[in-house]
Amino acid sequence: MKKGYVIKRILYSVFILFVVTTLNFFIPRIGVDDPAERYYPPQGNMSDAEYEVIKQLTREEYGFDVSTPEQYLNYLGDVAQGDFGTSFRSGNPAVTGLIADRLPWTLTLSATTLVLGLIGGILFGVFAATKRGRWQDTTLLNMSTIMTALPAFFIALILSFYLGFEFEIFPAYTNPNLVGDFSFSLDGLQMLARNAALPIISMSFGSIIGYAQTTRNAVIAVTNEDYIVTARAKGLPQRSIRYKHTLRNSLLPIVTSLGFSIGGLLGGQVVIEQIFNWHGMGTLFLEANEMNDYPLMMAIMLLLSAFTILAILVTDLVYVLLDPRVTVGEKR
Amino acid sequence: MEEPTLRMRKLKVIFPSGRGIIRAVEGVDIDIEKGECVALVGESGCGKSVTSRSIMKLIDSPPALTRVDELYFGGKDIKDFSESEMRKVRGKEMAMIFQDAMEALNPVITCGKQIAEIFLRHHDMDKKEARRETVKALELVGVPEPASRAKNYPHELSGGMRQRVLLAMAFACMPKLILADEPTTSLDVTIQAQVLNELRNLQKSHDVSLLLVTHDLSVVSNLADKVYVMYSGKIVEKASLRQLFEKPHHPYSIGLLNSVPKLSDEESGFEQIPGTVPHPMRKPEGCYFHPRCNHATEKCKKEMPPLSAINDESEVRCWHPRNMEREEAMT
Repeated sequence: MKKGYVIKRILYSVFILFVVTTLNFFIPRIGVDDPAERYYPPQGNMSDAEYEVIKQLTREEYGFDVSTPEQYLNYLGDVAQGDFGTSFRSGNPAVTGLIADRLPWTLTLSATTLVLGLIGGILFGVFAATKRGRWQDTTLLNMSTIMTALPAFFIALILSFYLGFEFEIFPAYTNPNLVGDFSFSLDGLQMLARNAALPIISMSFGSIIGYAQTTRNAVIAVTNEDYIVTARAKGLPQRSIRYKHTLRNSLLPIVTSLGFSIGGLLGGQVVIEQIFNWHGMGTLFLEANEMNDYPLMMAIMLLLSAFTILAILVTDLVYVLLDPRVTVGEKR
Repeated sequence: MEEPTLRMRKLKVIFPSGRGIIRAVEGVDIDIEKGECVALVGESGCGKSVTSRSIMKLIDSPPALTRVDELYFGGKDIKDFSESEMRKVRGKEMAMIFQDAMEALNPVITCGKQIAEIFLRHHDMDKKEARRETVKALELVGVPEPASRAKNYPHELSGGMRQRVLLAMAFACMPKLILADEPTTSLDVTIQAQVLNELRNLQKSHDVSLLLVTHDLSVVSNLADKVYVMYSGKIVEKASLRQLFEKPHHPYSIGLLNSVPKLSDEESGFEQIPGTVPHPMRKPEGCYFHPRCNHATEKCKKEMPPLSAINDESEVRCWHPRNMEREEAMT
């Protein structure tokens, strides 16, 4: 039963990934008559005949000389092999290489934010739930209202100004030599931590408060359940009731929100990376956007979707581990 | 004479709220002898569940305010017991069976582990011994294949089996007193009878006292030795089972008994008590039952009657206690 559910869930994710890849292929082609013109815009000093020749060469180089269905099959084949084509920044580097260079930097930020957000959020949430209705709890509620109104990039700007320029506690933007100088030594890691501090802090605020609010509500809902009264009637100590009976049931909604928040986290990070000039996928995406670098943009979009799909898949599988009631067909 | 298992005097529980004060329990006295089954009967919202939970001090304060003049349990004065002292009593000397086993069992923990917790908490046992005791406890309450049932999650068991798991939890440490709050209401009738039988056999054979909270008079007639009838936060009649069923004195008790359909009056259907239970924030003056009572007089509208003895076997809170044999004994 369980095994069947897991296999079904994985196949479903693969299918969604296929649909996303298909959309990723077709959406950029909407409203474009001749891709060659996008890749190689007309230049002033060029005759029509010359431009025709150049366009034909461009088509052949980027594979636009065949019919759209053929292009689609080629695209699927290439993507399956991890080949996202060539970027058309100077030197025509492979998109895969560009992304591989940036991905670790981006993941450093997102993973740290996620871990901080979860740990901080769960601790704060459980704490607020135990102080229900008192000032600690009200503070969380107010902060959560404020955080909904304050986007992360705004916090980033404020932090960058005060902690960066005014008090010079952390670098206001990433040291351009960070990527070149970085090594897995104490000095290297310290440098990384100092430069990553502000982007991570700016993103963690919202994360922590968001998870804290979810946790607080979940814990309070579970505390009112009858089985918690049963646990008390058994004479169990407070600690055992809180961690064994309450928290495990409260984790369910947190895990659910986790899977869906990862897409938002990665999306929000694009702007944060730009503000701090972080050498990650976000800045890469904005660069690609400015240069109309279609292959690069498409690859990044696809990767973001793939991450989100993976996150939701992992969420669902963790859910099965946490809640024995989940089986095929009768989910939640 | 042996010491009673429970002696409680003047339990009062109120719930302050923004719009007024809810007086859920207004001075309830309960005595339970060793091995005795006492039933607490009344309509929904009369305060019977709050009373039983208060005995175990499971009512959260805040929001509730609880006062009790005397609370002796098993020879100990537990009136001023702290939460941590109560934790040593709960589950070990005093246990509770809840109404809906689906709600009362933790959905993500196996039934076996939920029972084993009690042994681990109250006895010096390692996990292996606790597991063995758990299987024994399940066997005791008539669960077939107890070892494999212990590995099941609550949702994998039938309603009757789940309720038996609750019984196993209650009898795990052979407590002195079990508080059963509507123990079979969520079950269908045939299963209900089986579980009640199990409960009665265990209670009698192990000489455990039982406080049975219910609105179901057929359950009462099967199990109870003594009955307390509760109305709107007060005890209105206290009598032995036989006395109550044969010769109830309080108009409310009579109404309750008459509202049980009988085979003999197929034509007339069954009688019902007119009106509804008063809202706990707007209780009438005088006797709380007078607006629904056929025999109410001016005095009933002004003064609350005391609970006074009518004979050896019954006490009643009424200015004009009825005094007639019911046409037939209920079974």
